[in-house]
Amino acid sequence: MNDSRCCSNPDVLMSYLYEDGPAEERLAFEAHLRQCERCAAEVASLRSVREDMTAWAPAETLLDFRIVREPAPAKSRWGWMSTMPAWAQLAAASLVVGVAAGLSGLDVQYGKDGLAVRTGWNRPAGLRPAAAAIAPAGSADAPWRADLAALQEQLRNEFRQPGAAPAVARASTTPAGVPSRGMSDDEFMARVRQLISASETRTQKEMALRMAEVVRDVDTQRRADMRRVADGLGVLEGRTGAAVAQQREMMNYLLRVSQR
Amino acid sequence: MRGGQTGPPDRQETCGERVEMTVTDEELVARSIAGDTDSFNQLILRWERPIYALAYRQLGREDDARDVVQDAFLRAFRALPGFKGEAKFSSWLYRITLNLCRDVMRRAKRAPFVPTPEGVDIADMASSDRSATESIEDVVTRKDLGRHVARAMSLLPEEQRSAIILKEYHGLTFQEIAELQGCPLSTVKTRLYQGLTVLRRELDRRGMGPSRAESRTP
Repeated sequence: MNDSRCCSNPDVLMSYLYEDGPAEERLAFEAHLRQCERCAAEVASLRSVREDMTAWAPAETLLDFRIVREPAPAKSRWGWMSTMPAWAQLAAASLVVGVAAGLSGLDVQYGKDGLAVRTGWNRPAGLRPAAAAIAPAGSADAPWRADLAALQEQLRNEFRQPGAAPAVARASTTPAGVPSRGMSDDEFMARVRQLISASETRTQKEMALRMAEVVRDVDTQRRADMRRVADGLGVLEGRTGAAVAQQREMMNYLLRVSQR
Repeated sequence: MRGGQTGPPDRQETCGERVEMTVTDEELVARSIAGDTDSFNQLILRWERPIYALAYRQLGREDDARDVVQDAFLRAFRALPGFKGEAKFSSWLYRITLNLCRDVMRRAKRAPFVPTPEGVDIADMASSDRSATESIEDVVTRKDLGRHVARAMSLLPEEQRSAIILKEYHGLTFQEIAELQGCPLSTVKTRLYQGLTVLRRELDRRGMGPSRAESRTP
């Protein structure tokens, strides 16, 4: 018997196959299966497919997923700075620098002597010339410094005794080459240039002397090294020659022995 | 769903590890929403095997399935505050997983990958999934049949395949599948019937079908 409500009706077939739906419907379909060979065969084959499907297992794998909360980073003391906008940070930095400069009485000068930076704290000791603060390192022992110091000392002495001594006496106490009191600015500058020129000449001479000494030392060392190398080569040559002679002697001996 | 709300229902995909089952999914979800990460990790432990099995059968590739499992739980964890409990946690998780699988398949624009039947490894046959009463020959036959089933399943359209997988391996009700697939109940049954019919034909064609089954039944 064929019942169009049951035969090939997926709704009924699937409900029965998966044991779903009301019990009365299932009982009714079972009664139909007893009479309908086609539906019975369909159900049997679908059950077989379901049974076959149990053979399909997923590939073995290791699953170790876990949710891990990372601890929140500790807030640093200056952490709030990072949340500040860049313009605000720049403004704050400028304000701090400005206040600090104001409090310290910062004085920045740039002239022919170069850049000079002074603070208010240094003013009491400000008798020191600014140029001295920026004098290049290594110039303390320059040859012209002694001449300049002598000139400076002479000038101080002259200032300390204004008009007390006659010009003759001043002239007699003045060391040779030191300008007299009545010297004009141009003369003074010319004198300074002369001193600097003399100092440069002396420095050049000293440099030339030093260079000559260095060249001589290098040459001496080179000669000594060459002599040592030549000695070494001679020894090696002698040893090689001896070895060659020994070899030759051995070859001759072997030839003689083989010809017998 | 078989097993209700306390844990994974499936006959095959239950966790290998022993999981505390006295706490329901809803309780664990509530605790997780309150900030208890350990509770969510218990949910992962409880559901990672079924979710992996679903993804594996949908995609047919182990590494893809693992990625999907990881993404699914991560997505669920992030979306947990928005989970109102209108659906079961497992259904929600299945939905996320199916969507991710669909994305993977769409990206790859390919049908599920199925391992080739050849290359049967005897050492693999004798592995731990062999029951005490099962001989090596039985294991080889079962694995071979499993590969043929996988191949036949890969021929099905995605809707039919997921309907069969959810019903056969995860024990979802028709209604749950209908909600997951967003279709009427009758459509789910039709998809199941059509899918099973294709499987029967394919297995028959490979000499693995009901005719063989008849010969093996006493």
